[in-house]
Amino acid sequence: MYISHMRKLIYLLTLTALMGCVEKKISTTDVVQRGYLIQLLESPPEDKIQVINFWATWCRPCVEELPAFIELDKRSDVEVILISLDEAKNKDTMVDPFLEMYQITSTVKLLDDPYAAEWIPMVDQHWDGAIPATLIQKGSKKMFYNKPFTAAELEEEVAKFL
Amino acid sequence: MKTLKILTAVCIIALTSAVVFGVLNYQLPNESYANNPEAPQEQFLDNPNTIKEDFFKPQNNEEELKGYQIGDIATDFKLKNVDGTWVSLSDYPDAKGFMVIFTCNHCPYSKAYEDRIIALDQQFKKKGFPVIAINPNNPEAYPEDSFAKMKVRSKEKGFTFPYLFDSKQDIYPQYGATKTPHVFLLQKEAAGNRVQYIGAIDDNYQDVNAVKNHFLKDAVNALLQGKDIQTKTTVAIGCSIKK
Repeated sequence: MYISHMRKLIYLLTLTALMGCVEKKISTTDVVQRGYLIQLLESPPEDKIQVINFWATWCRPCVEELPAFIELDKRSDVEVILISLDEAKNKDTMVDPFLEMYQITSTVKLLDDPYAAEWIPMVDQHWDGAIPATLIQKGSKKMFYNKPFTAAELEEEVAKFL
Repeated sequence: MKTLKILTAVCIIALTSAVVFGVLNYQLPNESYANNPEAPQEQFLDNPNTIKEDFFKPQNNEEELKGYQIGDIATDFKLKNVDGTWVSLSDYPDAKGFMVIFTCNHCPYSKAYEDRIIALDQQFKKKGFPVIAINPNNPEAYPEDSFAKMKVRSKEKGFTFPYLFDSKQDIYPQYGATKTPHVFLLQKEAAGNRVQYIGAIDDNYQDVNAVKNHFLKDAVNALLQGKDIQTKTTVAIGCSIKK
């Protein structure tokens, strides 16, 4: 009796461990400089739709729209990059714990560049700096949105790139 | 049999520690946010589930607002100040113009600029360009931006300027403010208050000592000296104004 129970237990544990490995890892924030942003803007991928979202942990409308981006990131033809505009000194105390709390597995970069007036126009001429803001790009096609998205609206915009 | 017992013990220990660490890990973020008084807490302390619910609420379909361009005449207003009085631009017959700054309590960028806004007011009020601060946010969206909390913040920081509440949220759309802080520098003329600069206070919210361009200060100085403003519009990251 005892042995068979033990076997079951061990089997169950192994299974759990295996499932744990298959599950995607929670992201940690990668602090980047302006060069990363420029490279991203200058080399849009040809084979997939890149969705770049500018957000911050303190920005409520940004946090509210994040689930739509995380859902979108499950698609194989879409790459979501979440660019946090939090302060770099808050990476360990605010941003990473936030990713852990919401179980975020998408790519997260923190743009450590307070001179926003210099790089905002590089993203889009029409962006005045309010976040959330989203840039969708693939090949030579680019669309910029300075507004929060619902899941349906986001899907609709991405569909225009198919 | 003995090995099995040992194995069981190991398994139980592993399971228990996994559960305990899991729980500890889960609680960590909450604690750190709660212990950090400067951190904007509202979104973190919300249960993730409520955020998801919020998320599926229909969004306001804000119509495209044009707002003011450089050279436009800005509207006057009559808004309630934290001291209980009502303030209009016409209450300042001696002013040469105004630094109208849309700002609020909750936004980290606004907080970062509070001391700089006080300094600007102290430097330029006596020269004829006082600061008029306006909170455009809906306190239902950001409880920290309520009129009661505005009074508290103004007292805490010792604001030397009026801190007005756009309670009907009908002034900021006319100006075209989209975020906090968002500056509109006005110059008084016979025709009215003409918009001369729109944008940021300076180019580095994080570190006042690393500022390369003092956009607003330079613009006011240019007006005082009767010169052209070099940079008439700038962009900066800010917290979206919420209806």
